[in-house]
Amino acid sequence: MATSTTDLKSKIIESLNLQDITPEQIDDEAPLFGAGLGLDSIDALELVVMLEKNYGIVIKDIEEGRPAFRSVRTLADFIDARQVSS
Amino acid sequence: MKLTITATGTATEADVSSARLGQRFGRMDLTSQLALLAVEPLSSHFESLARDRIAIVLAAQSSSLPTDTEYWKGRDNPGGPSPTLFTYTLPSAAIGEIAIRHRITGPNLCFVGSSQDVLPEAADSIRRGEADACVCVYANVISPALAAFIRRPLTARACALFMQPGENGLHLWQENDRDMEALCATLRPIISTK
Repeated sequence: MATSTTDLKSKIIESLNLQDITPEQIDDEAPLFGAGLGLDSIDALELVVMLEKNYGIVIKDIEEGRPAFRSVRTLADFIDARQVSS
Repeated sequence: MKLTITATGTATEADVSSARLGQRFGRMDLTSQLALLAVEPLSSHFESLARDRIAIVLAAQSSSLPTDTEYWKGRDNPGGPSPTLFTYTLPSAAIGEIAIRHRITGPNLCFVGSSQDVLPEAADSIRRGEADACVCVYANVISPALAAFIRRPLTARACALFMQPGENGLHLWQENDRDMEALCATLRPIISTK
């Protein structure tokens, strides 16, 4: 079953302690870093931990995850691809 | 040189949940949150000053031990402990958050010490010409996990004072005004009646 972007957004909000942001306010296609949600490099590491904790996906090289972290949509696609291949 | 206290602020854990100080606030450790909240009432006094001439002196009574304890507890979690938490495993982390929020780039100093350590050093930094004013902060957080470890009562509080040259502030600072918490408690009723 494909990863729910709404569920993924809730996990992002929880793991990053984003105040006053709801899943509905996050665009599936909007950039997670820089513009968009405005996340930073520490948040990227926090997302790596979130992926292992919630989806059992281990990213050993942050460069491997860089394309996946472009948006919620690319991250959901990445999770689906890794779960199919494992 | 005469020095005066021109503003003061305090914060406890009860103030944190309702506070909204930007998107980063929720990610900070409790010491940084309390320190930021205590400093907030001082900020209107920063406007007329060059930000590189404002110093910050912090005393973190429990160092970063509450955050260190939380970080250590996370070591067995899937994916390991929180990277965000790691950035707060320094006693001086709150200084960075104050500097970022208020764009303060002057000298700074962190004590792992008591509320008696801050004001004399703040006064010296102004008298030595290193700064034109000083944000003085005292924070003490003893979380439940830390309280069990060091056998001290729970606490979570911070207070802040803004020290500037002059004599027309809320309180003319004297050398024997060493205890910052006591001074904050004394000045709070004065402010509330103004």
